[in-house]
Amino acid sequence: MNLAMTDRAGLRLSPGWVRAGIVVLAVVAWEVAGHTILDPEFISPPSAVIAAFPRILADSDIRHAILVSFYELLAAFGIATVAGIALGVPIGLHRFTLRSALPLVLLIYSIPQVTVLPLFVLYFGIGPASKIAFGVSHGIFPILLNVVAGAQTVEPAHLKAARSMGAGRLLIFRRVVLPHMVPSLFSGLRLGMSATLLGVILAELYGSQAGIGYYTQVFTNSFDPAGMFALVAVLAVMAIILNEIVRRAERRASFWRVTAR
Amino acid sequence: MAFAGDVAITVEKVSHAYLKGAQAGLLQTLREVSLEIRRGEMVCLIGPSGCGKSTLLNIIGGLIQPSTGVVKVDGRVIRGPTPNEIAFVFQDNTLFPWSTILENVKVALEFQGVPATEREGRARTTLAAVGLKDFADHYPHQLSGGMKQRASLARALALQTGILLMDEPFAALDEQTRTYLGEELSRLLAKTGKTIIFVTHSLSEAVFLADRVIVMTARPAAIKATIAVAGAHPRGPAFMASPRFAEQRNELYALLRDEIEKTVGGLVGEEPEEAAPPMLAEQRG
Amino acid sequence: MTGTAWRARAIQIGFVVVCVLGWIYVGNARLISPIFLPRFDRVMTELLRIVSNGTVFVYLGVTLFELFAAYALALAAGLTVGFLIGRSRFWVAVFEPLLNGIFAVPIVIFLPLFILFLGIGIESKIAFGATYAFFPIVLNTIGGIGAVDARFVTVAQSLGATRWQMFKRVLLPAALPVIVSGIRIGFLIGFFSIIGSEMIAGLDGLGSQIVQLGEGMNTAAMFAYILFVILIAAILNTLLSLLQSRFNRVAAAS
Ligand SMILES: Nc1ncnc2c1ncn2[C@@H]1O[C@H](COP(=O)(O)OP(=O)(O)OP(=O)(O)O)[C@@H](O)[C@H]1O
Ligand SMILES: [Mg+2]
Repeated sequence: MNLAMTDRAGLRLSPGWVRAGIVVLAVVAWEVAGHTILDPEFISPPSAVIAAFPRILADSDIRHAILVSFYELLAAFGIATVAGIALGVPIGLHRFTLRSALPLVLLIYSIPQVTVLPLFVLYFGIGPASKIAFGVSHGIFPILLNVVAGAQTVEPAHLKAARSMGAGRLLIFRRVVLPHMVPSLFSGLRLGMSATLLGVILAELYGSQAGIGYYTQVFTNSFDPAGMFALVAVLAVMAIILNEIVRRAERRASFWRVTAR
Repeated sequence: MAFAGDVAITVEKVSHAYLKGAQAGLLQTLREVSLEIRRGEMVCLIGPSGCGKSTLLNIIGGLIQPSTGVVKVDGRVIRGPTPNEIAFVFQDNTLFPWSTILENVKVALEFQGVPATEREGRARTTLAAVGLKDFADHYPHQLSGGMKQRASLARALALQTGILLMDEPFAALDEQTRTYLGEELSRLLAKTGKTIIFVTHSLSEAVFLADRVIVMTARPAAIKATIAVAGAHPRGPAFMASPRFAEQRNELYALLRDEIEKTVGGLVGEEPEEAAPPMLAEQRG
Repeated sequence: MTGTAWRARAIQIGFVVVCVLGWIYVGNARLISPIFLPRFDRVMTELLRIVSNGTVFVYLGVTLFELFAAYALALAAGLTVGFLIGRSRFWVAVFEPLLNGIFAVPIVIFLPLFILFLGIGIESKIAFGATYAFFPIVLNTIGGIGAVDARFVTVAQSLGATRWQMFKRVLLPAALPVIVSGIRIGFLIGFFSIIGSEMIAGLDGLGSQIVQLGEGMNTAAMFAYILFVILIAAILNTLLSLLQSRFNRVAAAS
């Protein structure tokens, strides 16, 4: 992982450029194939996909769909974050709650969530509520478990030092325990973001009349691969941007972990 | 150095056994330790690894309750942390890595209960006093080992207590830095007249810094001997070069040698599984 | 350690028992319409019925066939690509961020493409499951090799190991536990994505059966199938954990 980072300095040919080159090459190959061997009913070359963007974004229904998906994702992520922290902090902080509640969390987490997807639709209906709920069910676990793990990393020496300087329980929590939990919380948020996105999109594809997932199916059924690719690209870009935001925040929050020692 | 003569810390027949852990209750660490430390005195504690020096220091600072016996500071019995009278400098780096040096000192003042408006000024003054004025906004990992220990010292000094308890504060440093910081500490001592208990493994450091060196026996620790070291603070290289210094250093080693042999010899002979901790600790120091 | 493990197990069992009791109570008191929550005993009889008359195994057979086909593909591709990349630090630096980036995008958004290209039958499920399972396998293979303690490599180099010797004697053995864990995660992810793809667009297999029963408002049977899938997942997971820990023990001993 950080191997790539240390390597980079010493290498003549930067891996970043090679990586970019490979991506460009793949796109070019796809473009060429799109004009020669591939069936235009099933796959469109990148130029056609790019050309499809204005058409798609001009459609107010599709713009609305993108907004709906975005709203579902943010709502689900927000709820998962709040609930994950609200449950994770008390579970991680005391040995008693840790021992009694963590096995339950792990038990529920071990259920393959996709199998209960139809139940979410059954209980929450076919609208955004079921997507949000399913997204929460995916996103909450990485956040909760990372918060719990973060609480375990508190340095006893720091606790002792704080105590010697007269800190009470509240100050110790705010100034010692909480800072220790932050880096791990942000890893949880990054994983939780990916998981929430997965949950929301799964639920959208499974059954809906709105959102990006719904329209990808519409385009597929009407043999409009360019529109479909464009829509998927919008979603992928959304995923990458959100991911990057959380990743940056994570790196910033844990700067002292990476460089310490 | 002229002592005011009155007693700052009294340790009365303190015994301690750790109750938790595998050998519950068996592990008697301190055995009826009694000690008086005068105001403004610099006392060094030295003894074999694992004998109970840190334990004694933590008891004096109120972080651990002794099994029996009492500790009094200014005649009052210590029952818990007393941040207004006692400040610690620990061996392992206990600066918060997520805060700058300045924030670290300010948080310490917050812990102590200093009003928010006074913290910044006091923190900056103390950092300047230890020579870290220009590093206030650096994070601990951006500082060298010596600077980190200076920052820890600043954090303790900012609390403006009469008593400073230092548990092998320079153990992780190289010998040159350590000697230099020792000189600095000696200067500081001359200026502020704080009462200091200083745990060390270094014979030279003990003789260089102390007004009185207290030699402890192997576990369970009791006081084996006390060596008085003459010479006013601040002490410098000249002090270290004097024949008296070498003499007292050797005297100290002779006293400790028996105890170390007791620990190591006994462990190698009969309790091989206990041999590890002291050896490891020695390498660390 | 084992005491804590037992305690945890007891808490989990207790929780399941409480849930079942609550479920029975809710059913008896008619608090919730049986369309939303069928009675516990009805679900159990349904489960027994589909197991004893074998219908569930027909669907299980389809799903498992897809799973094993997908897994074989993912394993072959993931290990090959992983080793090819992992052997060189340069290619690791090139490809690892790329693969990680793709894996961060939920691949499920491409599911409509799989259906578009391969149809609604088992081929699209196999391809989809293989794609999902590929990533943990390849990433752990690369990561496992990358995380090998640099001191081992230095020692081997100082002893004059060739590139191939280095790979065979140092990198591979040291990386195996991580690779094996990737192989395990890949299997489970493959399983879940196949069930998911059957649900979203499928004609056959357990996932599609669950959906069809739900659409027919036959909630009791749907619950029975869901419970069955959860059971199968638990069994597969336990088997894989056992295999993994046995493997690690053997590897550690040799
Ligand atoms: N929290 C604890 N629980 C149980 N035993 C402990 C605990 N802390 C220390 N001990 C034991 O008490 C003894 C004395 O420990 P202490 O840390 O006071 O020694 P020390 O003299 O400071 O050693 P060192 O020079 O290595 O720092 C040791 O044998 C140690 O194993
Ligand atoms: Mg100690």
